[in-house]
Amino acid sequence: MTSLKRSTASDPSTNLSSKVYVRSTRSGKVQKIVRELYLRQDIPCSSRLCSQCLKTAPTDFNNKVAPFVLSETPAGTKSFPNGHYLVPDTNAFLTGMDLFEVETAFHDVIVLQTVLEEVKNRSLPLYHRLISLTKNEDKRFFVFFNEFRLETYVGRDRGESINDRNDKAVRRAVQWYGEHLQEAMRARKSVRCPTVVMISDDRENLRKSKAEKIPALTLTDYVSGLENSGQLLDMVSAGKEQREVKSGKVELIYPEYYSMSKMITGVKAGTMHQGTFNVSPYNYLEGSVHVPAFDKPLIILGRENSNRAVSGDIAVVEILPKDQWKAPSTTIIEEETLNKNDNADEDDGETVISERERRALQEEVKRAHGQSTEGRPQPTARVVGIIKRNWRQYVGHIDKDSIRSTSKASRSQQTVFLIPMDKKIPKIRIRTRQAGELVGKRVLVTIDAWDRDSRYPVGHFVRSLGELESKGAETEALLLEYDIQYRPFPKTVLDCLPAEGHDWKVPANLDDPGWKGRKDLRNLLICSIDPPGCVDIDDALHATALPNGNYHVGVHIADVSHFVKPNNAMDKEASMRGTTVYLVDKRIDMLPMLLGTDLCSIKPYVERYAFSVLWEITPDADIVSAEFTKSVIRSREAFSYEQAQLRIDDKSHQDDLTKGMRTLLMLSKKLKQKRMDAGALNLASPEVKVQTESETSDPVDIQTKKQLDTNSLVEEFMLLANISVADKNYSAFPQTALLRRHASPPKTNFEELANQLKVKRGMELRTDSSKALADSLDTCIDPREPFFNTLVRILATRCMTAAEYFCAGAQAYPEFRHYGLASEIYTHFTSPIRRYADLEAHRQLAAAIEYEQLDASLHSKPKLEAVCKNINVRHRNAQLAGRASVEYYVGQALKGRVVEEEGFVMKLFSNGFVVFVPMFGIESTIKLRDLATPEPEAEFDMESYVLTTRGSRELRVELFQKVRVRISDEAEESTGKRKARFELV
Amino acid sequence: MPLDTSTYALALLRLDGRRWNELRRIRAQTSTQAAADGSSYLEMGNTQVICTVIGPAEGRNTGAGRSGGREGEANLEVEIGFAGFSGVDRKRRGKGDKRTAEMAHTLSTAFSSLILMHLYPHSTISIHINILSQDGSILAACINAATLALVDAGVPMTDYLVACTAASSPTTSASAGGDEVSDPLLDLNAMEEQELPFLTLATVGGGEKITVLVMETRVRVERIEGMLAVGIEGCKRVKNILDGVVRGVGR
Repeated sequence: MTSLKRSTASDPSTNLSSKVYVRSTRSGKVQKIVRELYLRQDIPCSSRLCSQCLKTAPTDFNNKVAPFVLSETPAGTKSFPNGHYLVPDTNAFLTGMDLFEVETAFHDVIVLQTVLEEVKNRSLPLYHRLISLTKNEDKRFFVFFNEFRLETYVGRDRGESINDRNDKAVRRAVQWYGEHLQEAMRARKSVRCPTVVMISDDRENLRKSKAEKIPALTLTDYVSGLENSGQLLDMVSAGKEQREVKSGKVELIYPEYYSMSKMITGVKAGTMHQGTFNVSPYNYLEGSVHVPAFDKPLIILGRENSNRAVSGDIAVVEILPKDQWKAPSTTIIEEETLNKNDNADEDDGETVISERERRALQEEVKRAHGQSTEGRPQPTARVVGIIKRNWRQYVGHIDKDSIRSTSKASRSQQTVFLIPMDKKIPKIRIRTRQAGELVGKRVLVTIDAWDRDSRYPVGHFVRSLGELESKGAETEALLLEYDIQYRPFPKTVLDCLPAEGHDWKVPANLDDPGWKGRKDLRNLLICSIDPPGCVDIDDALHATALPNGNYHVGVHIADVSHFVKPNNAMDKEASMRGTTVYLVDKRIDMLPMLLGTDLCSIKPYVERYAFSVLWEITPDADIVSAEFTKSVIRSREAFSYEQAQLRIDDKSHQDDLTKGMRTLLMLSKKLKQKRMDAGALNLASPEVKVQTESETSDPVDIQTKKQLDTNSLVEEFMLLANISVADKNYSAFPQTALLRRHASPPKTNFEELANQLKVKRGMELRTDSSKALADSLDTCIDPREPFFNTLVRILATRCMTAAEYFCAGAQAYPEFRHYGLASEIYTHFTSPIRRYADLEAHRQLAAAIEYEQLDASLHSKPKLEAVCKNINVRHRNAQLAGRASVEYYVGQALKGRVVEEEGFVMKLFSNGFVVFVPMFGIESTIKLRDLATPEPEAEFDMESYVLTTRGSRELRVELFQKVRVRISDEAEESTGKRKARFELV
Repeated sequence: MPLDTSTYALALLRLDGRRWNELRRIRAQTSTQAAADGSSYLEMGNTQVICTVIGPAEGRNTGAGRSGGREGEANLEVEIGFAGFSGVDRKRRGKGDKRTAEMAHTLSTAFSSLILMHLYPHSTISIHINILSQDGSILAACINAATLALVDAGVPMTDYLVACTAASSPTTSASAGGDEVSDPLLDLNAMEEQELPFLTLATVGGGEKITVLVMETRVRVERIEGMLAVGIEGCKRVKNILDGVVRGVGR
């Protein structure tokens, strides 16, 4: 009888190892995982110097070899005259990712698998940035799978920590690379052998590598040896070094975070809550966290309670005892007015709450307590830990007052404050050697850490964007703030364009594969109606009368999916960009110009591919049938809204095209009526248009946008097309159709507005359904004030939730509803040139009508959900960026002018109020201390929304009151933005 | 989590350091249990399986008076058991487990076509398989182990039945200029099985005749061909390994 043993023990061959690790599951179980590891010798070093590896380099299924990456003549520094390959340690990437992304330095970098895995475990965003670096051909980053190479694999010794093992693996790999290259050089009989240099900030690791005679440097030492070291040195993350320097006299200001396991148990047990931390735009000391357990957001008041959370972080909060609950603040508190004099160098022992802050807060509390009988204290909480930091790069400017010496020559390092553009973000402390140069510039920084002993987060300089208020810098700042991809399209994307370029034409030969499955609709009288100057024309329309009295109506959408095939580089870029962003002076395209403004764009007089939705509609605008088809069309004319309106109104035009347009207009009015009857909302948002000088694009004038009948003509048919397509896609792909929904807003959202209307005007706002809301909004009319209704609509819009894209399988059918449009199901289909969602809808529709096969990525729910998540964010950011751009230009247009305008009071605080000026679509706060000096005393009646001032100036300000304001411009100290400044007349 | 399958494109290496067309290490032994008529022990990577064959013998009386299979043929019983400690979680799989029953059924139909059943009317051949450790390709390992045990028991068969798994990697390879290129992968381990669409196939004697083809995941139809090609090639290699084991005993 033989005994059976696992054969590894008896196996003398060494190329098999196993990796054993222990992990704990969410439910608290501990699992031990054993994985095999096949060690091999055919992993190439990927240096172009090496001929040995080229022979053994692996091939894929199609017998292709990946090209070698590392350059033959890498750049060198003084200490490495023969050039060098860099092998950074994990901590080098964690602290210096910005440096590695610099274009002028850090080429020929070997990323070890050990390091890559460690980076991934420590920070996913950094991992993704690293991966995209390895894909950047110019940077020559190569991932070397050292754990799989026999020579570079190291085991873990008994009692050795995982970090020590990984460091050992890194050193082993560096050593092997060095030896391997020397061997290769011997074979080539060349002299210039590049050195392989390890970069690490770990002292122990450096010491050991010195002992083993491995070339190694700290990141700082390496950067100092480079040419533009001054600028680069600032980019070394401040986090680690500083902590070590200070460790002597630590004074902890903030309470410690709870441990992760304590938070998770707490959240599970319901004693703590998890949510996204948001800071109030009016009061930087007040934050809120929306958690599922409470209808209203939890308030977090004061620095100590918000405990180092930055707006956007996912935080865990603990509810405070009920006697500490407070009402949401009614004052405007801005950071710059309180903490102007903070010293960026933290020599004087700072406290969390400065004296002034404390006073401001105390007044708050007093007020809250005074009213607590009838007031509305809300659940108040404090942050006890952060689940996930959502720190991004922030744009701001250096606080002039925090600089010690402003001389440009001074190269000494000093600590300064950066004031972010976004008011919700606290000041960031950065250390820089170029303070003198950075003053008055827009600067990009990142936050590295926020320790308990520091009142402000610590960050580091990334790059300078240019002078404050210069158009280039401000636009770039805006794009960075809203995370918009604005770089030119890379070559890989442009390679996906049709080779014919602008000469591409619809093939004349009907047997061409491009014609397969396409209907020839060139004989239809189609025209497009768009805003003036529009070059990316997505949609065109036509209508003809049928013999049976009905109408044949078609919406023709640019066939972008014909040009953008799934999963190629262009598609990936588009899915990342998500949407085209429209700024006042600039358009950041989702697709390359060639497609967006030429080949896809439904330009007049030329033939274009289109995706058509064709209906038979009765004269009462009931749909008899709908059909979807790919087609070829020829638009007869591209109208602007005004031109189209004029042509329709001009009775002398009796041609078929104009008649078709009149039919469309007639039908659209009926469609709109139907929609309104179903309860669609007519909402308003303050929209203005900035007129710019055509050449310099300097703002000249501001106008509110006009609404013509033709605007709603196009809108109605686009809605109709979207709804029809949503139906079709959903029936074909009940799990994966990409749809758009608008959740009905929770009642609590409207509470305040409803109360305000009731108290001030005795009007009732019913919010039980969108129909009820639409009807009650119609009754909110002040006969003396025609704008009042619009004002209420604007305020109501702000109470809504945002519409979102989603994947059909993720929600139940009743949840599909689009609240604002009062449609059961909805998607975006009509603007594929500028929205990625539409492109996906096109692909799904093409598959639904069996024109082509659906790509795998559109079958997979998780992938689609990721796409939805991204485009939702992009869509929002694009809107915000557009608004911010208008705001900037309004500020610029007002520069040096003083205008008196009518405005309305929108919101009241105890020390100020917000006024909205419809003429320019801007709102701004007027603080009491700006009304007169000394600041007038004020009494704020929260119940009746009246603010009465006494003393130096006597006023009575009511909510919704019409006021006259004098508008001038002012460069806002806190954000560096030029803004409108209001004064009460 | 260490690397996942999405990094495959970076180095054309899989999670455990193999290339796309490499099998894991396969070790096998026969006659491991003296008490049985035939027995085997097989490792495919970290998947470990033991198999015993009893029979051909007079079967248990099933009450209907028939102890054989179809008229004039032997009856083939397959029983599969998962050891409680075989997976990552300690979990008992009962007798009534549907998936286990399905695997057993797959095995019994596959081998019924291969064993010369008509030589043993009124008798039963029973195959008992125990899975000691699971790390992917379990059905394939069971088929291979059963083949060895049947050979060990001296049950006449037309040829070996050898199996392996093949998958399709989802990534785009950078060298192909962004076009979708998916390498088929051979012989999956448990982590790969969780992430990739895969199929198990068994061929007769490492030839081109496929006897078993099981796929429970969704995959694009264009990819099937590559997966099958790689799978057949893999089976050929498995056949050689098993053949080596069998011949090693005879020597």
